Amino acid sequence: MMKFIRWITALTALAAAVAMAQPADPVARARAILDEIDDLWRGESSRALVAMTVTTAHYTRRLLMEGWSQGKDNSLVVIREPLKERGVATLKTGDSVYSYLPKTDRAIRLTAGMMMGSWMGSHFTNDDLVKESRLSGDYDPVISFEGERGGRRIMEFTLMPRPEAAVVWGKIIIEAHADTRLPIRSVYYDEDGKVARTMTFTNIRSMGGRLMPGLMRVVPADKPEESTELEYREIEFDIPIAEGFFSLANLKRR
Amino acid sequence: MNAFTMALRNILRQRARSLVTIGAMAFAGAIMILYVSLIEGFTDAMVRNMISNSLGDMQIHAKGYLDDPDLYTLVPDPDSLAARLEAKGYHAAPRWYGIGLAASGESSAAVTLRGVDLERERTVTRTHEHVARGRWLDGGDLKGAVIGRRLARTLNVDVGDEIVFLSQAADGSLANDLFIVRGVLKTVSEPVDRAGFFIPRETFTELMLVDDAASEIAVALPSRETRLEAATQEAAALAPGLEVKSWRALSPVMAKMVDTAGAGTYIMLLIVYSAIGMVVLNAMLMNVFERIREYGIMKALGMGPWRVAGLVYAEAALTALIACAVAALGGGALSWWAQTSGIDLSVFGAGEDFATFGGMAFEPVWYARLTPAAVVRPLATLAAVVMIAALYPCVKAAVIRPVEAIHHR
Repeated sequence: MMKFIRWITALTALAAAVAMAQPADPVARARAILDEIDDLWRGESSRALVAMTVTTAHYTRRLLMEGWSQGKDNSLVVIREPLKERGVATLKTGDSVYSYLPKTDRAIRLTAGMMMGSWMGSHFTNDDLVKESRLSGDYDPVISFEGERGGRRIMEFTLMPRPEAAVVWGKIIIEAHADTRLPIRSVYYDEDGKVARTMTFTNIRSMGGRLMPGLMRVVPADKPEESTELEYREIEFDIPIAEGFFSLANLKRR
Repeated sequence: MNAFTMALRNILRQRARSLVTIGAMAFAGAIMILYVSLIEGFTDAMVRNMISNSLGDMQIHAKGYLDDPDLYTLVPDPDSLAARLEAKGYHAAPRWYGIGLAASGESSAAVTLRGVDLERERTVTRTHEHVARGRWLDGGDLKGAVIGRRLARTLNVDVGDEIVFLSQAADGSLANDLFIVRGVLKTVSEPVDRAGFFIPRETFTELMLVDDAASEIAVALPSRETRLEAATQEAAALAPGLEVKSWRALSPVMAKMVDTAGAGTYIMLLIVYSAIGMVVLNAMLMNVFERIREYGIMKALGMGPWRVAGLVYAEAALTALIACAVAALGGGALSWWAQTSGIDLSVFGAGEDFATFGGMAFEPVWYARLTPAAVVRPLATLAAVVMIAALYPCVKAAVIRPVEAIHHR
């Protein structure tokens, strides 16, 4: 989820980025925008309080969680509610991902094989949660549409993975408001070119001093009646974070 | 004087030759009886192993579970279904399956969590006998887990060490708990060795939040003589709305192996018996040439070619009959010995107390299985081969021209 926090932050700042650099070549321009996203993610820190609602054919569950991020390497998500799962934490430092289980007072290091597994029963994978999505590094972006669609002026980016990139998606299409550069929708395609999931961003409001979507909803393409919603209750940027905050020792102490 | 009396006299006239021919036939027949019963014993042991290691003779699932196993496609009220099956003489054990992650220290591995009904499972399979180190599960130790042998190596744990288990419960919440390794299994089967994580059923249902419903019910037949098809139908009648499958349907590869093992023995029989056929052909031809003047006189006295042929054929048939009787006794005795004492394969380096074949554990003692088919099949084939080999000498004797035959020297 920290990725999404960053992602949203980054897209919010797109307007400034585009204003600074306006190359004539559309591919270079798209890349410049995505590079700005990557650059903007670096050196940032944030804290957010997010409510997650998961709806599946078998269960509906609500979680409240708190997340911190720093730079591109460190992030931590801690479950606050429900009581049964309170304190369950997922920590990413560098290339390692740990899951801390208060019931057992043990931290498990997640292996590569688990990254596509569901995170906390939601439609997000562990990979979503922790992967540093360096869009311009892993994908070749083009602005595939710019203009009016559905009564709104939008910009559409099409991201194709680079041949050497180890990514899980075959294609990503991102739609954003042309003026505010806020995301509207992103569609993830699998390697066979089929839609795998759709993410929509709504409820745009000012949070942490920035205008951003407060509600994010992901719907898996194979189960359209299921969904996971993330509602941002609070978000702050550029907060001071103590040394050693993103460490296993701190994980157990919390 | 009928053909058989004459044939018997003919056999007795060349005792040494007859003895050699009958001896060769009987020896081949006896060896083939032993061979077929050993093959029967082998395939039977293979099937028994598979069934008693994990599969059971039949399995009952909720419809759709086998295609997409999850925590939501379960057999409701497994205990009363098991009780209904037990009332009919079957043994039935409800089982629970879940997938998750087991971790110890920095190592982790994907595992199949297996909830075990401790009392009922031992009536169906023998997994509880396959503990290499430590002990099998116990109802008094709900956090004690028994794990597969390769899993223990992957996680670098042994009896007494702790393992963290992590999964997703039926309500989507995080299922996690700390287990102590209570036992490590011997080689049982590839999936169990690599990912088997056995815990008591009570622990499973509490951890994974599945109420009174099981992933699977493994069923063992009342006795080895029970017919599988009839039993499958009877079980299906007891489990309305559920999917009942026999081991043949659950493991079609194994079923096919067992079926083709029979065809393989026929090929072996034909190879060995073709040599016997040559011996018979040679002996019969010698007999015919030796008695060519005798046959000539018979024909001159008015005996038709069919009767001459019948005489030779009767001799062949009588030889075969005696040989079969001796082979049945000798082969039966050999097979009986191999069935009761078994052949210890551990001298060939099968190692430990269990050998593996195709990823499955085997006892290193090879037992034959003497079935009626194991006796009848080699003997019937032997008789058939002899009768075919006797055709040429028969025809030879039948078409003899009396004048030439009488002057033959």
